[in-house]
Amino acid sequence: MPRARRRVNGIDVFMWGLRVIVAAIALIGVVATLFTGRYSLSQWFDFAMFGLTLGSVYALIALGYTMVYGVLRMINFAHGDITMTGAFAGYFMASSMARNGYFESHPGFAMLAVFAVAMLACITIALLTERYAYRPFRHSLGQAPLICAIGVSFVLQQTVRGMFGSGVKSYPTLSWHDVVLEFGGVRVPVVNLFVMGCAIVAMVGLYWIVHRTRMGMAMRAVSEDKNAASLMGVDVDRVIVFAFTLGGAMAGVASVCYALIYQQVHFFMGFAPGIKAFGAAVLGGIGSIPGAMIGGMFLGLIEAMGPALFLDGLGIPAPYQLRDVIGFLVLLMVLIFRPQGLFGEAMAKRRA
Amino acid sequence: MDVSVRARNAALGAVLSGLLSTGAAVAQSNEIRVEPGAPIVVGGYWVLSGGDAALGNDQRRGVELAIKDFGGEILGHPIRFLAEDSQCSAEGGQTAATKLAANPAIVAVLGPSCSSEATAAAPILWKSGLVSIGTSATSPSLTAADRKPDYDGFLRVVFSDADQGPADAKWVFEALKAKNIVTIHDGSPYTQQLTSEMAKTFTGLGGKVASQEAVAPTDVDMRPVLAKIASEKPDAVYVPIFVPATAQILKQAKQTQGLENVPFIGGGGIMTPDIMDAAGDAVVGFYGAFPDVTPEAQGQDYPRLLQAYQDEYGEAPTSGFVANAYDGMTMLKLALEKAAKQEPDGALVIDKAALRDALFAVQFDGMSGPIACDANGQCSNFKPAIYRYENADRASFAIGTNPKKIYP
Repeated sequence: MPRARRRVNGIDVFMWGLRVIVAAIALIGVVATLFTGRYSLSQWFDFAMFGLTLGSVYALIALGYTMVYGVLRMINFAHGDITMTGAFAGYFMASSMARNGYFESHPGFAMLAVFAVAMLACITIALLTERYAYRPFRHSLGQAPLICAIGVSFVLQQTVRGMFGSGVKSYPTLSWHDVVLEFGGVRVPVVNLFVMGCAIVAMVGLYWIVHRTRMGMAMRAVSEDKNAASLMGVDVDRVIVFAFTLGGAMAGVASVCYALIYQQVHFFMGFAPGIKAFGAAVLGGIGSIPGAMIGGMFLGLIEAMGPALFLDGLGIPAPYQLRDVIGFLVLLMVLIFRPQGLFGEAMAKRRA
Repeated sequence: MDVSVRARNAALGAVLSGLLSTGAAVAQSNEIRVEPGAPIVVGGYWVLSGGDAALGNDQRRGVELAIKDFGGEILGHPIRFLAEDSQCSAEGGQTAATKLAANPAIVAVLGPSCSSEATAAAPILWKSGLVSIGTSATSPSLTAADRKPDYDGFLRVVFSDADQGPADAKWVFEALKAKNIVTIHDGSPYTQQLTSEMAKTFTGLGGKVASQEAVAPTDVDMRPVLAKIASEKPDAVYVPIFVPATAQILKQAKQTQGLENVPFIGGGGIMTPDIMDAAGDAVVGFYGAFPDVTPEAQGQDYPRLLQAYQDEYGEAPTSGFVANAYDGMTMLKLALEKAAKQEPDGALVIDKAALRDALFAVQFDGMSGPIACDANGQCSNFKPAIYRYENADRASFAIGTNPKKIYP
């Protein structure tokens, strides 16, 4: 349908003004920063590297939001805290293996074990949440499931706090953790490559499952129309359980990746990445797998490079305090231009 | 009955008249009459529950030990001690102060532990003529020269944070011989004030503050801000923030080119074993700038107090402020002995204004060191110290040995 011509009103003018102002500030900041030449090219590369690594973790968590949203049309706000439980499970596995030296003698196998334990923990918690907190509300009207998800988030946080204390725990370090590869003057820590690799493999795997398997087809059918899918013989409950399993598995991978880079676990650690990953999922177009991936990477990049790129040149003191402001401002700007998110259009059109 | 009916009626009248005309709030009883044999009632409020309960309980015990040392009485009257829980929050302080202020028998109040409590509670208490003696609330504004008249009834037997920043700047400049530094705060008023005071003094000494950075307390990716700091080539980094962000900074600084060997100096927020768990081996060599709370910095009699504490409660004190609480009670006793008038029948008449003046005038050598008040109610000196973490083994945590006191 061709877009109807509308009359320009005050709000349009304001929105355009806002876009122009933000774009102008960003542009002036970038030019000023590059002009002062405080950072070398290799430092910019480092920033991009850190940003993509953090973005990979956001992307992995965002995939969980997107999977569940795709089939249930529900935001699983407890997803960040499910990730946290995986990080704790992985921490206990890793620290016990670090104590008996297994971590150093069999690093590959130990890493696999940590991933397995973390994923298992996340999947278990995700399925329990689905069974006991979400399923009873599935057919209720209003925002009951959403509120319930927020409740689950508190329950998970406080349970872990009660069981393991409110202190910050340090993840054991691996011998390959600090290995840095050098390509023509550019330094790349192996652990960053590893995390990015995990994210890409996970995304490709998910994409394949959703688009090339029978279960994936069932998921897409449920996503289109739950009732019609059920009439065609699709077991909706099984599909939903499968979506939560996939989301939990992604949370498990994300939790280990997060712990590998930042080496801290504590009961509240899931909250901030959860919110950011949710932002990333919305940014990419919630429900879209490549969207979650791109959204996560984009948000990570903006957070790492934004303060230095936009604010340093403007002479704003302590720019790193404002990194979340920049991240969410970009999210806001994207949504103003494209309310459906970067990759949301295909789904929106299909459902129209 | 604890107190004469007259005083109670007078107080009730004051409350009523206060309700009728707000201007008449001072028209209440300025005297407390303690009948022969009746107890002198002392109020107190600290954090006695929740995560910081150890801090408040220690101070309550300090007061109890002082009362025990007086034989349980002052001027022949037994002491009755009423402690309220103020939960280390402004709301808790307000509730506790309202409750204490409503009790007409109370002569003065000891506590609190936290500055947020004192900020809310001290004006409420002073409106009823009650002086409060702070025992571990250290915010500079409570005894600043420009404090509001509402706080005229507050004095404290503990140091003020106002001296922390300048003391840290002096040590970094003179002992560490750093000439070019970077500071990091986390957006909270405490860390912001501290870093700006430190930077001001450091510049005044002739040093250069290359930049003043900030992070969020929940940030995990510190590499961009550390890369920026590295580009300033600092001799030292002053980062008086809290455990999670500090741990990330320490760990990631070890992996940042140019910062591997730069000393980092933290503040009171990291004087806890939690930093050892959170930062792991990266904590080794990390400096902590914090007042001297080791036994040798306290008064002469401090070892005796420690022993008495051990005998009475079967454990060692968990915070460094037992001596301050003990001194607060001693101060009140000395002031009461000066300000209270004995009547021929053995009754005691305490004029609240006279008691306040007597408290401000008292001078003695306390458990925590010499006590003497300035006009703004600051009665204890700041004793700076610098500590350094020697290893990351949580079990070895003890302020003084690990982190080891390296200055003075």
